[in-house]
Amino acid sequence: MPEQKVDSFARRLDRPVQQAVHDNSAAGTEKRYGVLGKDYSDSDKLRKLAGAIRQHSIEHLDTYLEQAEASLKRNGAQVHYAVTADDACRAVSDILKRANAKKIVKSKSMISEEILLNDHLAAEGIESVETDLGEYIIQIDGDHPSHIVKPIIHKNRRDIARSFEREGLGDYNDDPETITRRARAFMRGKYLEADAGITGANFVVADSGRLVLVTNEGNSRFCLAPTRIHIALVGIEKVIPSDADLAVLLNLLGRSATGQQLTVYTEFINGPASKDKPSGPEEMHVIFVDNQRSEILASECREILRCIRCGACLNVCPIYRQASGHAYRSVYPGPVGAVLSPLLAGKNFKQLADLPKASSLCGACNEVCPVDIPIPDLLLKLRNKAHEEHIPSPGTPPMGPFGTLASSPVIWNLALKAGAATHLIPLDKLPLPFLSPWLKTRTLPEWRGGKFRNWMKNRKKK
Amino acid sequence: MAGRQIPQLDEKPKKEMSTTRDSIFKSIRSALEPLPERTPRPEVPHGIADAQWLDDEVETIALFQKRAGLVGSLTFTDAAACAQWLASENPGKVYIPAEFSELIPIFSNHLSVTSSYSRADANTINACLSPAAAGIAESGTIVLTDKSTPDRLAALAPWYHIAILRRSNIHRSIADALAAMPNDPNIIWVTGPSKTADVEGILIQGVHGPGVQVCLIL
Repeated sequence: MPEQKVDSFARRLDRPVQQAVHDNSAAGTEKRYGVLGKDYSDSDKLRKLAGAIRQHSIEHLDTYLEQAEASLKRNGAQVHYAVTADDACRAVSDILKRANAKKIVKSKSMISEEILLNDHLAAEGIESVETDLGEYIIQIDGDHPSHIVKPIIHKNRRDIARSFEREGLGDYNDDPETITRRARAFMRGKYLEADAGITGANFVVADSGRLVLVTNEGNSRFCLAPTRIHIALVGIEKVIPSDADLAVLLNLLGRSATGQQLTVYTEFINGPASKDKPSGPEEMHVIFVDNQRSEILASECREILRCIRCGACLNVCPIYRQASGHAYRSVYPGPVGAVLSPLLAGKNFKQLADLPKASSLCGACNEVCPVDIPIPDLLLKLRNKAHEEHIPSPGTPPMGPFGTLASSPVIWNLALKAGAATHLIPLDKLPLPFLSPWLKTRTLPEWRGGKFRNWMKNRKKK
Repeated sequence: MAGRQIPQLDEKPKKEMSTTRDSIFKSIRSALEPLPERTPRPEVPHGIADAQWLDDEVETIALFQKRAGLVGSLTFTDAAACAQWLASENPGKVYIPAEFSELIPIFSNHLSVTSSYSRADANTINACLSPAAAGIAESGTIVLTDKSTPDRLAALAPWYHIAILRRSNIHRSIADALAAMPNDPNIIWVTGPSKTADVEGILIQGVHGPGVQVCLIL
């Protein structure tokens, strides 16, 4: 029987990689439980509230996006829109070309991965350096992130040391501290010579126009210190009503993602730098990207747009832990990816229609989700969509014969009776020479089919 | 009409942009229109997400120090002790903005001090003092704002960053700090030194920003 693609990927995965992904994910789950348990008597209540805030936000996206646009403009930012990934890439390079910006520093942003921004910029002759340590290693290796918050969860220090040696960042040295110091020195040069910084945004607050960005390394801050232009790529669904909602969302984001009360740097960007200041971008551009999101909003899977990209569902997922992120063949892996990626694929849904099956529907992803997304329900809806669109599904046992049996009482009864024929199979005489020593000492269990029906029919009603 | 004489080059992208915007809003509206009802805005009571132990801690400054310690920041309440400690770290020249006229003599006792900073210093000056607009006790966070920070780079590039926090400016909770957000183009909450765990999940401090984050509470 053909396998599901996620299964075959997991089977081929190197044991050490699988172990690393498993251990690192499991540790993430532990940390999350630890900090939430210590800090809240009922963190579930908070999760549900955060879910309601996000669900309300996306169901009023028409209002809030318009309000966010007005607030951003009032704060001095320029607002752009992009329908497709290509539009978004072009919007970025148009801004850069107009400002004659040739060198870019980038902080981690999932949407830039989604729209393949780096490839586009390279083709346009614009140098773009990923500044998050993990993302930088992904970039020099021509690789893809395998986790939403821990992009190089699938690499070990020796892999990284070899990449650094190859890129001329010193002799082979696999000490994590040395690797980090070398990255610091290298990035320093890149920040100082960059014309523009590109970031994503974790949230956009509609009433204040604040763009909220969280990092641990401080790279997004550095992208916005020596540069003259700031471009933020933001999915249209990132909008929330007000600053007060951040109290709930920020408190859950850090704890869910990395077990931190808050990430080290939480940045609230409210426009270009003050006029009299020596550093900070003088121009700020926000590009709101749709890229299928309004389609998802129209679908029955709109709850997935609540996602705040913490990665907790990846860490807890038994499938993700075995298969690692690349098994999902898309930018967003794990349970959230199994829902989001096929939807983002739009017309190409078929190519990723197997992902919603990469789940045992155990429900752990829903239980850890800081915005309470009913991921298992959404996976079922997408399985159904694939079925209705007649997309073939490898790895599914053929249910046709069982279906015939189960839908006809006459055939079912007959089969139950005929099952007794298994008593007549002479195990030791089967033409299976390689199994015969094993079969000689074994018998089939007694056929019990139909017992319940007989009992039911003959029982005396009291 | 005189007002229409805009050069064609400028007009074209503008037109495209508004079409793109309109089509996105149109898709959003048509996605939401069939919903029989929309999720109402939930009430978010102030303090709903406060840590449950917040009320057990009576003294705000002690709480700030404790929480800052837990995220790997150092705290001092005495400028001379802070200056002595910094000198023992041997950081080289220290940038202290001129507004800290009362601190410059104290630090000058032990260290070489400059009151000017430029981009070129980003790789040479390894210690800097900068004013914190506020602090958050619940998380041990210091708040920097564009208006109060003399130079974004100076608060970020040096290995040693010493934020000067006035006692009266410490918020008790994250929610309090959010309710009192100043009107400023750039507010940054700093909760500990710059960190990464990208390499095998091992925690390393000082990736791009400060490796040692200090708060001097005055």
